[in-house]
Amino acid sequence: MIYLLPHTILASADRDPTQEAFRCAGAALTYAELVQRADQLATVLYDFGVRRGDRVGIFLGRSLETAVAIFGILRCGAVYVPLNPKAPESQNHFLLQDCGIRILVTHPSQRRSLLKLLGARPQVQGIVGMSEVEDYPAVDWPTVFAAPPATFAVPRQVETDLAYLIYTSGSTGQPKGIMHSHASGLAFVRNAAARYAFGPQDRFGNHAPIYFDISQLAYFGAPLVGATAVLATDAHTVLPASLGRLFGEERLTVWYSVPLAITQLLNAGALAGQDLTSLRYLFYAGEPLAPRYARQLAELLPTTRIANWYGPAETNVCTVYDLPGPPQDDASIPIGEVWDNTERLIVDDQDQPVATGNSGELLIRATTNMLGYWNQVELSTRAWYTHVTQGGSTERFYRTGDLVREDPVGVLHFLGRRDHQVKIRGYRVELSALEAHLLTHPAVAEAAAVTVQRQADALSIVVAVILRAGDEATVQDLQEHLAAAFPWYALPESLYLRESFPRTGSDKIDRPALQSLLADQVPS
Amino acid sequence: MEQTIIDYIKNEIHAGDQSLDIDPEDDLLGSGLLGSMEMMRLVEHLENTFHFRVQPQDMAIENFLTVAAMARYVSAARRA
Repeated sequence: MIYLLPHTILASADRDPTQEAFRCAGAALTYAELVQRADQLATVLYDFGVRRGDRVGIFLGRSLETAVAIFGILRCGAVYVPLNPKAPESQNHFLLQDCGIRILVTHPSQRRSLLKLLGARPQVQGIVGMSEVEDYPAVDWPTVFAAPPATFAVPRQVETDLAYLIYTSGSTGQPKGIMHSHASGLAFVRNAAARYAFGPQDRFGNHAPIYFDISQLAYFGAPLVGATAVLATDAHTVLPASLGRLFGEERLTVWYSVPLAITQLLNAGALAGQDLTSLRYLFYAGEPLAPRYARQLAELLPTTRIANWYGPAETNVCTVYDLPGPPQDDASIPIGEVWDNTERLIVDDQDQPVATGNSGELLIRATTNMLGYWNQVELSTRAWYTHVTQGGSTERFYRTGDLVREDPVGVLHFLGRRDHQVKIRGYRVELSALEAHLLTHPAVAEAAAVTVQRQADALSIVVAVILRAGDEATVQDLQEHLAAAFPWYALPESLYLRESFPRTGSDKIDRPALQSLLADQVPS
Repeated sequence: MEQTIIDYIKNEIHAGDQSLDIDPEDDLLGSGLLGSMEMMRLVEHLENTFHFRVQPQDMAIENFLTVAAMARYVSAARRA
C-alpha cells in the first residue's frame, strides 16, 4: 500500500528493479539503485541522530543526488527542506534557523556557496555529501554509498505526517515554510496521474529546482507510476539549445515547467528541428503564458496536449485548463476548472459567494492542500476559511489570495493577486513589502511599486518614490537600500524619483495610472 | 583566451573576488559561478572582445559549460 512518498520508489523497484527512475546529464539510477542509495543515506542520517519529524536541508543544484537526498531523508521519517544554493546567505541562514536544520545534504560542486553560508555560523551540526568542511562532522557520497544499506530503524508513520517544507517569500518579506504531508504530496501526483493516464512508459522532463513545487511532479509522479524522470541540469536551464535537444534525445513524453522555460526555448528556436513526436503532454504553471506563445507551441506540437495548471504552492495544483486548440485571439488563457477531489468557492471581502461572472477570491478545499505554515500559528489560521457542517465537522478552504471570475461555461479566469503579490521569473515578490521597506528609508515620503511589461514575455518591477521635502537621496541610495533587504529577483528594474503620484478619488495612489505612466518612461 | 575568460568572471562578475579558484574544466553553471544573467553578460563580453556573434543554436552545454569549452568555441567561431 502506497501511503508515504517513499513507498512509490519501493513499489516501483518491486515491480521493475532495472527500470530507470532518474536520469541526469547522461547518468541514471534504476529504481533498485535508488532504493539502495536512499536507504544508505537514511542510515548515515540516522547515525547523525536524525529521527522522525526532524528537518534536513538539501543544498544541491539540479543533479541525481537530489533524488537520493529527497528519498533518503523521507525514508528515515525526516522532513526534507530544499534550499537554493544561489540565494543570498541571509535568506538561507534564515531558513536554517527558522525550521531548525541541523544536517545538510550537499555536493562538492556547492562548496563555495556552502562555505559562505556556514560562515554565518548557523546551528548546523553535520554535512553529508562532502568531506572536510571546516570543523564540521562530514560524510562524503562515496562513504555514504559504501555503507551497509538499511541498518536504520524505519519509523512507524502515517500519511498526514509532515514530508517537506517549501519556503516562499511572505508578506513581511520574511520567507514562510509551506508544510506538506506525504498525503498532500501523493494526492497531487495521483490526481495528475489519473487525469492524464501516466504510465511506466512515460518520461517526465523536469526543469524546476527542488525548491519549486513544480518539481514534485517528476520527483513523485514518475515514481508513483514507475516511469522515468529526466532532470535538466543547471546548465540546461541557461543554455536553450541543449534544453531543446533534451526533448528529442530523451524522448520526453511529459513536460512541466514555468512558462519562462518554454518561451526561452521558443525564442531561441531551440525546439525547431527536434523530434518532438514522443511528447504527449506539455503542462505549465506559475505564471500566465502569452497566447501568442501558446499558438506557436500548438503549431510546433500538433499532437501534444497543452494544459495550464494553476495552484499556489499551498495547494500544489488545484485547477487545470486543457487547451482545446491554438488560442484564437490574445485574450488570457483561463486557469480552467478544479480537478477531481477538489472543491472551490469564489467569495467577496465578507466571505460571501459572489454571483457567477463576478470577481472574487478563490478558496480551495482539497487533499492536496498544505498542513499550514511552519511555526506560524497566526498566519496559518488566517490562511483558512473554515465552514462547520450540520453534523459538526469542519471543512477547511485555503484562501488563495487570487482573484478569479467564473465565465458562463464554468471556466475560471485569473484576474490577479488580492494584495500586490506578483510573480517575476517564477519567484513570488510582494510589491507591498518593497514599498514598506522603502518607507523605512529616512528620506522617503511615499513609495509605489508596480509591474510593467517592457519586454513581450517578462514582467519587470518599477518603483516610484516621492522624497520628503528638503531631504536628499539618490536613486542609487534607494536601490542599495532595497538590495540590502531583498533577493536579486525582487529588485526593481528602474526606480524613479517623482514630485507626485496620480491619485484615485479617495486619494489613494492610482496604481493602474502610475503603471501606464511608468511603462512609457525610459528605463533609468 | 582561458585566462581572459577567468579574469572576466573574477573581476566583472564576482567583483574582483581573487579567492575564487576557477579551473578551466569546472562546471561554471552547476557550481553557481554563473547564472543566466551572468552568462548573458559573459556572452556579450566575448562577442564584443573577439568580434563575432554567438548564434542561438550555439548556446549549448558543449560550448559554454566550462572555461575550456568556451575558449575552444570562441576560437572556432572566430575562424568560421
